[in-house]
Amino acid sequence: MSNKTDTKNSTSDFSIPDLAPELLRGPNWLRDIRKKSRETFNNAPVPRRGLHLWRYTDPGKFLIDRERVLDTDYGENFNAVEKIVQNHLRQGNLSGVVTDLAGRRIDFFGTENLVAQGVTVLRLSEAIEQHPELVERYLYQLVNSATGKFEAMNGALWNDGIFVYVPDGVTVEQPLHLLRESGLGGSVQYPRLLVVVGKNAELTLVDEYGGGSTDRDAVASYANSAVEIFGLEDSRISYVCLQRQASGMNSYLTHRARIERGARMLTMPLAFGGALAKQNFGVQLNGRGAESVMRGLLFGSGHQQGDNHTLHWHAAGETVSSIDFKVVLRERARSAYTGLIRIEKDARTCEAYQENRNLLLSRDARARTIPELEILNEDVRCSHGATIGPIDPNSVFYLQSRGIRLADAVRMIVSGFVMTTLTGLPENLRARINDFVSQRLEQE
Amino acid sequence: MASEINQRNRDLASLGEDYATKYGFHDPVDYFHKGARGVNHEVVEMISKMKNEPKWMADIRHQALDIFLSKPMPDWADSEMLAEIDFDNIYYFMKPIKDQQKSWDDVPEYIKNTFDKLGIPEAERKFLGGVSAQYESEVVYHSMREDLQKQGIVFLDMDSGLRERPDVVKEYFGSVIPAMDNKFAALNTAVWSGGSFIYVPPGVNVTVPLQAYFRINAENMGQFERTLIIADKGSRVHYIEGCTAPVYSTDSLHSAVVELVALEDSYIRYTTIQNWAHNIFNLVTKRASAYRNATVEWVDGNMGSRLTMKYPCIQLLEEGAKGEILSVAFAGKNQHQDTGAKMIHAAPNTSSRVTSKSISKDNGRSSYRGLIKVHKNMPGVKVSVECDALLIGEEARSDTYPTMEIDHDQVKIEHEARVSKVAEEQLFYLCSRGLTEDDARLLIVNGFMEPFTKELPLEYAVELNRLIELEMEGSIG
Repeated sequence: MSNKTDTKNSTSDFSIPDLAPELLRGPNWLRDIRKKSRETFNNAPVPRRGLHLWRYTDPGKFLIDRERVLDTDYGENFNAVEKIVQNHLRQGNLSGVVTDLAGRRIDFFGTENLVAQGVTVLRLSEAIEQHPELVERYLYQLVNSATGKFEAMNGALWNDGIFVYVPDGVTVEQPLHLLRESGLGGSVQYPRLLVVVGKNAELTLVDEYGGGSTDRDAVASYANSAVEIFGLEDSRISYVCLQRQASGMNSYLTHRARIERGARMLTMPLAFGGALAKQNFGVQLNGRGAESVMRGLLFGSGHQQGDNHTLHWHAAGETVSSIDFKVVLRERARSAYTGLIRIEKDARTCEAYQENRNLLLSRDARARTIPELEILNEDVRCSHGATIGPIDPNSVFYLQSRGIRLADAVRMIVSGFVMTTLTGLPENLRARINDFVSQRLEQE
Repeated sequence: MASEINQRNRDLASLGEDYATKYGFHDPVDYFHKGARGVNHEVVEMISKMKNEPKWMADIRHQALDIFLSKPMPDWADSEMLAEIDFDNIYYFMKPIKDQQKSWDDVPEYIKNTFDKLGIPEAERKFLGGVSAQYESEVVYHSMREDLQKQGIVFLDMDSGLRERPDVVKEYFGSVIPAMDNKFAALNTAVWSGGSFIYVPPGVNVTVPLQAYFRINAENMGQFERTLIIADKGSRVHYIEGCTAPVYSTDSLHSAVVELVALEDSYIRYTTIQNWAHNIFNLVTKRASAYRNATVEWVDGNMGSRLTMKYPCIQLLEEGAKGEILSVAFAGKNQHQDTGAKMIHAAPNTSSRVTSKSISKDNGRSSYRGLIKVHKNMPGVKVSVECDALLIGEEARSDTYPTMEIDHDQVKIEHEARVSKVAEEQLFYLCSRGLTEDDARLLIVNGFMEPFTKELPLEYAVELNRLIELEMEGSIG
């Protein structure tokens, strides 16, 4: 069996059966939402191909057979995790590491100082017991069954998740690192994250997704993740989503953030791994003076397929957003990027910018780009641009004429291409990303 | 009163004669009563019989009707507006005759005013208002035709084209836009009537623009016109359709298909200034095939209609082909201009450029929807796309939905879009030089449109500017 899911097979049943008892624990409101999400998922049609966000990706790849959809057997794939955690902690400059194994087992390392500052870092299951009102107020507000069929799937099936709450006025100096590892081939997981950053508080979060099957020809591992982030007034949030899943992994991720008056948010989707990764990042600017910056990078090689969406939704006036999404493709890699800027009627005096640049390093790489604008009032300044092209042969020629080998010249140019995206990242993280880029340029 | 009725009867009678001699059609009045609303195989059969068409065309029509009936309505662009179209309440063929019966008094006041302000003569106004098919420039039309005929140019309405050059029509009809292409192309293929047929022989350079304006004096323009232009090797032709005055019709749906074939080394420019009345749904499919070293240019202006969905396309099929699309859209009150451009690069060393300008005013909505497709192994392809949108009024809306699908690495694609309102500092500057705010705004809008207007023949540019002036009137509360 290959990792393709055959949606045309009429004997396949992709519905979710009755939820297992452990998914129905907790308060009534949660149980109701899970049940409703399950119903929505089962009743919603599979998104039609050709329809907007599904034009370039087969939704069938994210459907899981009824037999397997509740599967809790995610295999022993986590031997390496302990080492990675120790490595992260040793390198320092972190305010803790949280490991999330297959969306089920969540552990905390070195988060004592955070807790001492009054920051809450808990399993979602614990947070529901300890801070019921807080969780009820925010959970499912941004990613829910109204968002889409696959968001409903996560909404029904997430087993446990991570909850982070930074109280008003608290500045978390060092990044908090979340390490989410998927199980072996055939495993299914539904990770969930809820972050609330209080008024005038500050948080940097590195959300790293790894693991999964390393065998492209075996049954794929599957992850369907949901991330909800709330930035209250004047908060400052940096959210880095680093995806380095193994090559036998299909993943679907929906991220939504809502930032209030005067809040600033930096979102960085950095995607390197997986066989197929469909990711959707959206920030709602909900109060005057809110500012959102997105800087994304997709590096694809081999047969990898990346499908990324970004959304900047200006729901309030005097808000500013910008997006810079870069794509580098080698070999037979494919990328689709759809970015929407929407400015509502009442959101006056807004500025929004969007740029998508695609660098193709091989003849067989393929890039699609759809930068979209929906502007519903006149008082805006808005622009977007997209480019797709090879490395400028003149630049390569120049570098070669200075005695630099072709491979090195290409590496230098690609590094330069991605450098502006990576500025502002913590030093050791930037070094890691640069390593990812170089490794991927060199692997044959 | 009596003379009016007489005139009307004469019009009707002459139409009857026309059909009788040309189509073997004997009883227009009777037919008019028979012609039912709605479309089905009977209606299609009747259209085909009346035109006395060859069987292959009738077959194409029937097949297309099945396609039309089986295809769902588009669920993009503006499904709310599209849902307003009642296909069963439309006359698919007899409408033009019904129009003849209308009196000038029924033409809405705002259209009459526009005619006044544009300074169009009475007779032409009536024609453009859909009231009368007669007017004095008939002579001009005939002399022009003779001139063209000497060069071997075929410039006919599509029905005559089918009769006189069935071989050419059979070869190219539906070759660029098959009925399968989309629901409205299928509808047009099923019930098409009228439109232009142009064939330019090898090496012939048509020095004056060919204008539908002259042709439609003799032949009434249908709601489902079908145009086919073939530029043979090394020839050049510029075709202009529509005019700057509003075309008034009570019909709710206009759905044309325009196919251009630019053979080796030829050049076709197709200029449209669409100014339908604001109750019309204008759903048009336009596509060109450009062969070796040929150049095709669509110059497309959309001012009128309630909803326009039109995405001129150029397929660059052989090496060296060039495509250019220059479009402007003006969406005023209650209008939605959903327009765009498609470039299909299916050969190496082809280049294309898209420039789109849109203005949304009041609660108008303009959308740019485009596609750039570069197939595999197409070295030397160059593409640039530029979209500018200007918003005037608090409720104005502008959307941009460009799609770029690139399957080749050695290609440079650039896309840019900007959306803004009229810049305060520009207004301030102009006002400080003594212009009123209205004039300043108009000047800025005209400047914004200039890359488009400068591509038009002078008289069209002048009229377009006047039209913009009218649209802009009272833009400050």
